[in-house]
Amino acid sequence: MLLLSSYFFYACWDWRFLSLIIFSSFVDYSIGLKIYNTEAKDKRKRWLWLSIGTNLGLLAVFKYYNFFAESFAHFMQTLGWQPNDLTLTIILPVGISFYTFQTLSYTIDIYRKDFKPTQNIISFFTYIAFFPQLVAGPIERAVNLLPQIEKKRSIDKELFNEGLVQFFIGLFRKIVIADTLSAYVDAVYINVGFHDSTTLLLATFLFAFQIYFDFSGYSDMAIGSAKLLGFKFGQNFNLPYFSKSITTFWRKWHISLSTWLRDYLYISLGGNQKGKLLTYRNLMLTMLLGGLWHGSSWKFIVWGGIHGAALCLERILRNRSFWRPLQRFHLLGYLSTFSIVLLSWVFFRANDFDDAMFTVKKIFQFNFSAPFIPDRSLLTNTAICLFLGILFDFYLFRKKIDLEHLGKKMNLTQIVILLSILILLINLFYSTALNFIYFQF
Amino acid sequence: MSKDSLSHIIKVVFLVLFISFILDKIVFHLLNKVSDQVFSGQSIGKLNHYLKVKDELDLIVFGSSRANHHVDPTLLTTPSFNMGVNGKMIAYFATLMKLLPKGKEQIILLHIDPSNAYINYYKAGDLRFLSTKYNRYETIKMETDRMGQQNILQKFYWSLSYNGMILGILKNYFSPNYDYKNYWGYDPIYPSNPQRKIFEEILKTEKEITCQDTLTLDEIHQIYLEEIKLFCDKNNKQLIVFTSPEYNDNCKNDNLQFSALMKKMGFTYYDFSDFFKTNNSISYWKDKLHLSNKGAEIFTQEMKRIIFE
Repeated sequence: MLLLSSYFFYACWDWRFLSLIIFSSFVDYSIGLKIYNTEAKDKRKRWLWLSIGTNLGLLAVFKYYNFFAESFAHFMQTLGWQPNDLTLTIILPVGISFYTFQTLSYTIDIYRKDFKPTQNIISFFTYIAFFPQLVAGPIERAVNLLPQIEKKRSIDKELFNEGLVQFFIGLFRKIVIADTLSAYVDAVYINVGFHDSTTLLLATFLFAFQIYFDFSGYSDMAIGSAKLLGFKFGQNFNLPYFSKSITTFWRKWHISLSTWLRDYLYISLGGNQKGKLLTYRNLMLTMLLGGLWHGSSWKFIVWGGIHGAALCLERILRNRSFWRPLQRFHLLGYLSTFSIVLLSWVFFRANDFDDAMFTVKKIFQFNFSAPFIPDRSLLTNTAICLFLGILFDFYLFRKKIDLEHLGKKMNLTQIVILLSILILLINLFYSTALNFIYFQF
Repeated sequence: MSKDSLSHIIKVVFLVLFISFILDKIVFHLLNKVSDQVFSGQSIGKLNHYLKVKDELDLIVFGSSRANHHVDPTLLTTPSFNMGVNGKMIAYFATLMKLLPKGKEQIILLHIDPSNAYINYYKAGDLRFLSTKYNRYETIKMETDRMGQQNILQKFYWSLSYNGMILGILKNYFSPNYDYKNYWGYDPIYPSNPQRKIFEEILKTEKEITCQDTLTLDEIHQIYLEEIKLFCDKNNKQLIVFTSPEYNDNCKNDNLQFSALMKKMGFTYYDFSDFFKTNNSISYWKDKLHLSNKGAEIFTQEMKRIIFE
């Protein structure tokens, strides 16, 4: 039932790409069993490489082919050659980056003998296609989700309360806050050439919160709806802008991706076990590839590069004597972390790499004047939504409340009042729903 | 699932639906009370203003922002009103037109952009901007339902009618933008220096556009044009359709085709899209589609001369 509804959900976008999920699921189901049943290490490795090759091959074709073709053509042009147009018209299947990482983690875990493969093909196919997390994560590990699919589930009061509250808060974050913020951001970023430092900085600042409320809102809805079906997903966001370092930021932002990158890429490259220089190399490579995972463009690679460089710098400074006293100034940590993240968001949001570079240069010209205001009521809406969003997060931060478990702590009256008010606010203030930013990845 | 959990879930769902329904109705009626007192602002004040004065007017201008910013109705005749509203198209103003008094002699200036008449994605979504009056005006209810623009949830949660309008309503309730008794719907644009600069930049970087050769009249435009014509003929209204000036309209296929259509349907039609072509100045414009106050004044005076004299 879950599998059929998940496939139906995906087919509503484009039924043709169901074949891709089914193929990918079948390959990893078979390879998982092969690896588990093979004793010889080199044979196990060969099966693993086949899984990695197939999954990354599909990703390379559907997501990165044109990027590599264009980059190759550009490189050839710099050498004086004029190659033919190599690009193809390829549709990016929704969710491919997410389910590819899920299938990869499954075979790698089996190879590492961390997980026993399932014999039940339906369970495995459901694990890959499970609809709440299919199109934009969270990237759930088999070790967490598969046993839940296979055992009989029951929904208790607490799980239901948690799911319902998290779902509605996610919906509010997405369609009220994020979509309202997007109006100003889009109006500025559509043509950055027209705007000065103030406007570009303001738009980037708003984008930082737009993407946070958009993606964390989506994650809350995914996790919340899974809970309503009796499933427990891992946490994906934990107030990331309350971070005193980039290292902490990545422990709180898109947690399912950052832990995936840590466990399957950073550690596979050697992690921090092979000396300082190789640790820095591993950090940079992990973040550059993490950037590339987001999209086939140099701007995402630079975005990853900024985070990688900041992580390396933090590691270098961590044990320096002059740095330790500075760490006592918490506000300095919050501000510097947010500034680095803000700079990186320019590359994430800009239409292309050239626009991003232009925006950064323009911001650093410090040519400040009154910001561009396309519509006063839009700006008022934006300010109120942002204030509400930040205030709620600040409340959670100060009270040390985990949004995942907020519903569990509330009684029936509190839940009914909260949800009724949220429904009313959504009805009155929701903005024309745009696509979820992370659906494009 | 245990019996206890099941009864809890049913209780929560029922109570949330019940309390949110009651809360929604209280807020909806409160908002009706407040919004009915609002007569300034583009989202609801102008609509209330129009509904209040429509029966006494001799001339009404309908259309999008290009009608709103380009025609000063008081230069044409009084009492008159410009009901041009940003982003609105034929379904919106045809519905408002149908609310005019049946027998009273009135002149209607209807602005239509030919390019809008040949789009194929128009679904009459602008009718949603009349949703605050859905339960109070039979014509609005009928048109909204006919075009399928009623949100299904709106049948249950009425306050959805006020989506995106609250701040504007409250702002205009407590501090009206202007004294509506001295306002006749025309909103001249006074371009700021940055706006001028942006426009100059746009003109410098203008790209060549490809004009469409095959044009098919949008079905909704066809329906409403026929109905407007019939309504005006039957109800003593003199209907004049016009197209506003553009800075440089390089695609004339739609204008020619629309002009022929208007003639065939028996409309009085004036195409002013090239009005400033021979005597253009950047000071007449805010952008390629919108005239500045200076341009609008020249245009209205000429319009008066051409149409009425």
